Amino acid sequence: MKTTRTTPTMPSTPEPIQHVMKLPPPHVAGVSRDPSAAEGIRDPIVRSQNLHLYYGATEALKDITLDFPRHDVTALIGPSGCGKSTFLRCLNRMNDLIDGVRTTGVIELDGRDITDKSLDVIELRRRVGMVFQKPTPFPKTIYENVAYGLRIAGVRRKAVLDEIVEKSLRRAALWDEVKDRLHDSALGLSGGQHQRVCIARAIAVDPEIILMDEPCSALDPRSTTRIEDLIGQLRGQYTIIIVTHNMQQAARVSDWTAFLYEGALIEFGPTDRLFTKPQKKETEDYITGRFG
Amino acid sequence: MDKAIIRRVQRRDRIARWTITLGGVAIIVSVIAILVLIVSVTLPLFRPPRDEIVSKTALPAAFSDKEVLALGIDRVELGDRAARDSLTGYVVTQDGRFTFLDFSSRHTPSAVGQVANLSYSTRSVPGALKKTLRFVENHAGTRYSLLWSDGSASLVDAVMKPRFDESGKRSVEHELRTLAAFPPEKGPLPLQALLRAAEGGAVTCVTLLPGNRLSVVRRVSSENLLGEEETIEHRRTIEEGIPGPIRALALDGTGKTLYAGTENGCLAIWQFDAKGQIVHHEVVPAFRDKRAVTALAMVFGDVSLAVGDARGEVTVWSEVRRGDSRKLRLLHRLSQGGKGVREILPSCRKKSLLSLDGDGEIRLDYVTSQRNLLRLTGAGPIRTAGYAPRGNAAIGLGGGDELVVWKIDCPHPEVSWATLFGKVHYEGYAEPEFKWQTTGEEPKFSLVPVIFGTLKATVYAMLFAVPLALFGAVYVSYFTSPGWKNTIKPVVEIMAALPSVVIGFLILLWFAPLLGRWIVAVFTAMVTIPFVFFLFLLAWQGVRKLHWAKRVEHGYEFLVLVPVMVAGAGLACAAAGPLERWLFRSYHGMFTEWLFQVTQKPYEQLNSLAVAFGLGFAVIPIIFSISEDSLSNIPYSLTAASQALGASRWQTLWRIILPSASPGIFAAVMIGFGRAVGETMIVFMAAGNAPLLDISPFNGFRTLSANIAVEIPEAPVGGTLYRVLFLCAVILFVMTFLLNTVAEVVRQRLRKRFGQY
Repeated sequence: MKTTRTTPTMPSTPEPIQHVMKLPPPHVAGVSRDPSAAEGIRDPIVRSQNLHLYYGATEALKDITLDFPRHDVTALIGPSGCGKSTFLRCLNRMNDLIDGVRTTGVIELDGRDITDKSLDVIELRRRVGMVFQKPTPFPKTIYENVAYGLRIAGVRRKAVLDEIVEKSLRRAALWDEVKDRLHDSALGLSGGQHQRVCIARAIAVDPEIILMDEPCSALDPRSTTRIEDLIGQLRGQYTIIIVTHNMQQAARVSDWTAFLYEGALIEFGPTDRLFTKPQKKETEDYITGRFG
Repeated sequence: MDKAIIRRVQRRDRIARWTITLGGVAIIVSVIAILVLIVSVTLPLFRPPRDEIVSKTALPAAFSDKEVLALGIDRVELGDRAARDSLTGYVVTQDGRFTFLDFSSRHTPSAVGQVANLSYSTRSVPGALKKTLRFVENHAGTRYSLLWSDGSASLVDAVMKPRFDESGKRSVEHELRTLAAFPPEKGPLPLQALLRAAEGGAVTCVTLLPGNRLSVVRRVSSENLLGEEETIEHRRTIEEGIPGPIRALALDGTGKTLYAGTENGCLAIWQFDAKGQIVHHEVVPAFRDKRAVTALAMVFGDVSLAVGDARGEVTVWSEVRRGDSRKLRLLHRLSQGGKGVREILPSCRKKSLLSLDGDGEIRLDYVTSQRNLLRLTGAGPIRTAGYAPRGNAAIGLGGGDELVVWKIDCPHPEVSWATLFGKVHYEGYAEPEFKWQTTGEEPKFSLVPVIFGTLKATVYAMLFAVPLALFGAVYVSYFTSPGWKNTIKPVVEIMAALPSVVIGFLILLWFAPLLGRWIVAVFTAMVTIPFVFFLFLLAWQGVRKLHWAKRVEHGYEFLVLVPVMVAGAGLACAAAGPLERWLFRSYHGMFTEWLFQVTQKPYEQLNSLAVAFGLGFAVIPIIFSISEDSLSNIPYSLTAASQALGASRWQTLWRIILPSASPGIFAAVMIGFGRAVGETMIVFMAAGNAPLLDISPFNGFRTLSANIAVEIPEAPVGGTLYRVLFLCAVILFVMTFLLNTVAEVVRQRLRKRFGQY
């Protein structure tokens, strides 16, 4: 039985800001959860079935079958090179940009196979946003950074842009810091602010899923805390899949955790259960720090 | 760590720092030194003319009872090592004597009037025994027309021959050479006589007779059938067609054109053929206010006539072609003095004129630039003046029989800002023009055509090179597959290794003739290639869903597009012939014929298009390489971030990549521009080097750099041309310097705006 926060079907447009602010603080490891949640996931938003990925002749992902629960935070953990970022990039087809990548198997987003070559990648990426490890603000103003996704989608009306930019920046907890200098270059902000601009930019196009590829690894501890708080606030409206190196972070922010090792999925389950009672020896070895 | 190691590291750091600093400073210093050097060579062009009185002495006592009719001076600059000049003056007195005076001081004259060694010797004109001189006219340096009291006339040359003795000491030997003598004619005594000896032996003697008549005697020597020398004289008296009482006469160097200036402000011209027949006669009412013409002289080159009038103004007139006829027209007005102009003395080297007015002031003007160079002052009113043939000295006889000698230092009178950058009315031209033409008696130094040529070359080359290089760079860095990129980029960079002389050679001998033959095809291709391209894109929509087409669309587009382009070019070649015949059917089916009929200018094979291709070929690798680097330096994360937001490749390119790479792309274009401005060999070989001022792509031009290369072998060191060519170098330097500075400033601003990639 799934007992974690059950959220009513979310409207596709985000809730008013006030509501977001009132959301409970992020999950903390150790809060008891029903272990039976791992048995099956109802209403998964993304289903990966027997996914294999090859870089040329190397098999980087081996037969991954994994369901991502809707509107929850799922963490992908594992040692370096285990394929967690590669797997993440499969979910919005960012691997297309890399030469010589080939996949077999199926990834379904709401029942539609997104590995299909004829799929409109641009449409997919609007539904599945991404935040990268290194903050990548565009060399534009803060406003233009956030409005970028809308502009390329053809939104021209200033009133609409203004509204969405403000809403996204508020949701990314950045509005108060930058509201007076929206038209300054985004490059002048700090590293933590950069990453929040990137999150605001991803939110602005109103995706269903936000992929985060080690979003805090280039940041200082204070900025990390802010981003983690932010993830906590975004939970419930967006499905968040986060790759992280940091197991404390995974424990702090995620509802579910998947442990990947050498390209294979070893274990998947509710975060508190996986960290307290890992069922596989590799998982236990990894989370207790015997390798990694 | 071991202290010794730390010390060694520190020492090496220091050495490295010093070496690098030294290298940087040395580069800056040497660039500045080069600039200082070339500027210092050009500076004398703009130095104001200077005069200096080197001698101011009373006329020797021996002259006290004789009337001085004319003066002369000759100055030979012996260079810096001799430290002093040879300065010889002479005085022509009524008794027919030329008295030579040596003004070369053995010591530097410390003060005016102290000439240490004034020696004089006198030469009598041969045959001047009891006769006295009635009239003396000096023209063309040392030649004097003499009219004697018995009515005879002669032409003498005051020759000064330098001699060197065994010790190498220089001395000057004086000699009077009679070039022609005409015996007295029957009838009244003439008032004036003017003689000219042309090259080839013909001598013309014009005398002004009382009653306002002119007598013209033309003596032609030739060998007869027996090999004997035979002299024929053609005589003619002119009584009609003279508009008023004649005040002044001038003869050109051939003796075939006679000018007369009259009391009532008219100029009369007669032209004779070899036998003394009048072939042309024209009267020009020169001055509306009918002021008297008081002095005439031929400006150096024997084409223009200098006219001095009763108001003290000197004007220069020249024949200008108007349709089929040639008319004497006013070209230049020179500086104005007081009262009437008494004498006009031309230089024998340059178009400068020394004029003496009724107030006794000597003025030195340059004709072409209409520039008053000097007013020779400091000696009170002058009665008679002489001007050195080299134009570097003047002599005057002032009140109280004082002889004054001026040194004139004005080596570049023909150059001024107005002549370098403005329109100038040159002899024989219908109107003022920008003209660069350094040969001939009147060098024309307008820099406008060569600066224009430089810009024309650069602009045409950039129009060709910038789109190709930038599109190429964008495609290679952003669209093509990495494997091909690693092949294409080095190949393009090898283009840069091709010496420009090879490119110039190929353009000259191979490409320009080819372009001439296929010029219509080139223009047709501008239509057919986009057309075929468009057709192909339509067809592609049908196959793009196929698997192999998808692969082509990811980095192998050029494999299918290159054949499409070739097909477009082939279509152009095939269509060009019939198209040309049809389009230009009323012009013998030839484009070049049409071009000539429409623009009145022929199609030149070495034209701007050919150069644009060559010069473009030379700058494409630079622009391509630098802009490709800056595009590739845009972090992949930006592309990924943009695409992760659902941007297409084009959107990412336009909105993220190009703005971020803009500082680098701008720098690439500017560096290419700088290279094109300074490029010499390609334009030198392929541009035809005619300094035209014409924007048409079908004719050539001359650039600043090619101008230097073409002319410097012919330019005497220190001469005007030499210095003007250095001025071209300064302009080139300043142009590239400004270009680079502006480029750097803009680049820094772009960088601030679009980040540092």
